[in-house]
Amino acid sequence: MELNLLIGGEAGQGLASFENTLVDILSKLRFRFFATKNYMSRVRGGHNYHMFRISENPVHALSGDGWDIVVALDRESEQRHKPDLKKGGLFISLEMTEELNKQAREKYGRITAANEILSGVVLSAMGCGDGDIARIEGDSLDPVRTGFSLANKWDVADRYPLSTRAGNHYRLDGNQALAIGALLGGCQFMAGYPMTPSTSIMVYFAAAALELTVHFEQAEDEIAALNMALGASYAGLRSMVATSGGGFALMQEAVSLSGMTETPVVIIVGQRPGPSTGLPTRTEQADLNFVLHAGHGEFPRIVFAPGSPAEAVLLARKSFELADRFQIPVFILSDQYFADSQQIIEEPLDTGIIAREYNVYGSDYRRYAITENGVSPVTYPGLGDALVRVDSDEHDESGSITEDLNLRVRMVDKRLAKFRGIRDEAIAPTPMGEADADVFLVCWGSNGPIVKEAVERLGGEGIRVGGLHFGQVFPLTPGMIDRYGLHRRKVVAVENNATGQFASLLKRELDITVSGRILKYDGTCFTVNELCNEMRTYFRKV
Amino acid sequence: MVWVGNREIAWCPGCGNFPIRTALESVLKELPVPPQKIVLTSGIGQAAKMPHYLDTNFFNGLHGRALPLAVGIKIARPDLTVIAVSGDGCNYGEGGNHFIHTIRKNLDLTILTHDNKVYALTKGQSAPTTDRGTMNNLDPQGNENRPFNPLAAAIVMGAPFVARGSAGDPDHLKEVLKEAILFKGTAVVDIFQPCVTFNHINTYQWYKDRVYRLGKPLPDRYEALKTAEIWGERIPIGVIFRDEGVMPRQSDRIIFREPPEDKALGAMLSQQHFK
Ligand SMILES: Cc1ncc(C[n+]2csc(CCOP(=O)(O)OP(=O)(O)O)c2C)c(N)n1
Ligand code: SF4
Ligand SMILES: [Mg+2]
Repeated sequence: MELNLLIGGEAGQGLASFENTLVDILSKLRFRFFATKNYMSRVRGGHNYHMFRISENPVHALSGDGWDIVVALDRESEQRHKPDLKKGGLFISLEMTEELNKQAREKYGRITAANEILSGVVLSAMGCGDGDIARIEGDSLDPVRTGFSLANKWDVADRYPLSTRAGNHYRLDGNQALAIGALLGGCQFMAGYPMTPSTSIMVYFAAAALELTVHFEQAEDEIAALNMALGASYAGLRSMVATSGGGFALMQEAVSLSGMTETPVVIIVGQRPGPSTGLPTRTEQADLNFVLHAGHGEFPRIVFAPGSPAEAVLLARKSFELADRFQIPVFILSDQYFADSQQIIEEPLDTGIIAREYNVYGSDYRRYAITENGVSPVTYPGLGDALVRVDSDEHDESGSITEDLNLRVRMVDKRLAKFRGIRDEAIAPTPMGEADADVFLVCWGSNGPIVKEAVERLGGEGIRVGGLHFGQVFPLTPGMIDRYGLHRRKVVAVENNATGQFASLLKRELDITVSGRILKYDGTCFTVNELCNEMRTYFRKV
Repeated sequence: MVWVGNREIAWCPGCGNFPIRTALESVLKELPVPPQKIVLTSGIGQAAKMPHYLDTNFFNGLHGRALPLAVGIKIARPDLTVIAVSGDGCNYGEGGNHFIHTIRKNLDLTILTHDNKVYALTKGQSAPTTDRGTMNNLDPQGNENRPFNPLAAAIVMGAPFVARGSAGDPDHLKEVLKEAILFKGTAVVDIFQPCVTFNHINTYQWYKDRVYRLGKPLPDRYEALKTAEIWGERIPIGVIFRDEGVMPRQSDRIIFREPPEDKALGAMLSQQHFK
């Protein structure tokens, strides 16, 4: 049993605060849910909608099966979303929400009580009664009860009874997960310039700086942001930046500087539809190629693309360790859908902060000492007698400018030698569905959980499909996929872009030819239903 | 080839960068901190090679980006003495935005700019400080832009320490540099630097004929601004403005080698943890 809810209205009508109220209550009552939103790049007006999937089972995607409840705070929401109401579903019209607002004002003297009343309606539909809401505290309790009686009046009480709930869990959106992963990875410095969909990572980090020994610096632009992060990293703090495509474009030269000076840094790129300003508040996965090729010249890098908040915590944490270990830039590709989706994590999180070493060297220290694995010993200014001399020009082992062309070749080889160690560390993709199916769906980043559910749903219909979600998208090594025999199967790539960038990467890196591409680039995420339909069509064709 | 000690230096013989280097070297030696605690940042250009010719830590970064590097380093490590040194193209042109905003931050760091009124490394084009009418390969009809006045800009932005030195007066330059580096807050120093190869107007002699030493720094911003705008037959050098009253933004909070405690992070995470 599950309940799918959509609430639509104009920006500024309080949709976001309703979302916060409802998910807070759901979390306190330990209900399993997934919540995401679709909003316009404006502060007032327009048409925004927030979607909730509340279920007995773990849910990490939109089902796409239609809505059990649609709440319209304006006429446009009615026109757009009422047609997707399931048979027998409840439509809460503009007039009904006005009644609700009236009660909020008259009974509780504050309009925000409307959020709690509406949450009460939803809870009642989920089968909650007075006995279930003890964990809701203070002022919210009575409005929730008012919602119960409205639900009775509207005849929706107990219509979607959810009997099982989650145990201990975290509730995170994608950006919180990334910020937490960064903190666990020992990140102590972040510089940034606000840009959707990555701003809330900065907000989280800035708030963390009030409690923890970390620093957030708002930079004058993204160029400054990444250069500041590299300065802080050089000086001895694990550092990061977060931005979106446009801001990342400004960071290019500093990405290359990280590569040349071997200064570790973690760069989060929250994708949104381009080119240029594109659709600022919508989702896309079209910057994979950009990140793969970012920065002039040749240097090693790692690119991660987590699919779930749990994976985001894990990979962000690991990013700092790897950036440090190999003295490279590590990228995390996220997107608006991932950033803005709130969900619960039931698997345990490793919440220990990764410790780092501070080695001390003598006056004979050379920052770029050539070693077999390409990694030079690192230290920071002011520790011991060493001087730390770092240069964006080609340099000798001590960091001095050189135009000795033989040395140049050795330095390139040294930097690229790190790829060997990096490849050994590659994180294998997550398998789903039937391991021996003829058809395999491959995906990366935020599509992971959507594809997983689609594969399972198709399996339930007797359509045998396997799937792989790549949390690490670069480098790709044969060892990551050996056991799946992809060369013998039909591979279908699922991506939120118009050209199938990951499919091309699979070809280039692993010589895997995809036989189908399911692509979406209208600025919204896939739903499970949509993906299943695409797959059914695919199977009809083959 | 020019050698200083055992280092080959990539500047032309007679370049104004040499006396600046000598002055900076002796100031760094006189500072109450060891070279391990000093970091120079620089961009790209002739001036930006300076750190390579001194015995201290450095991060020689990208053209125009010496300042954000310095900001990151100083915030990460308030215990380090941080000096950004680059050319006029680097600090005022490519990095002009950083010049404005780094001053606004008022961290305890020093911004040195070798003002040779030319892009020397790229062989002679107009810099932001180049006079109107100056001809070069990209301005064959003469530069049409009004020159940037870095000191006036710094004063207007609220820099608490604003000075000018000249490679042609190395003893005075040394005093200015020392005062700037020891100053608590952002210190901006523009340094006249003759480029003997590409700038045949602003030569040692040209400066010698015009430059005069200022007496005590002016405590009044508006008076200082007037002084910063003096240009022509007579050009002042020295500390133009010095404001002791402004505390640097920097807190003394040390976070280097002080990672957050698991417990403190745990407390933060508990807001998202539901039992
Ligand atoms: C992004 C970028 N653009 C252009 C250049 C080429 N470039 C190198 S130095 C320089 C100008 C140097 O002028 P300035 O900073 O005044 O230093 P100077 O050589 O005069 O000491 C330019 C344009 C570069 N290295 N990087
Ligand atoms: S080109 Fe000019 S600035 Fe560069 S070293 Fe020669 S004289 Fe000095
Ligand atoms: Mg210059």
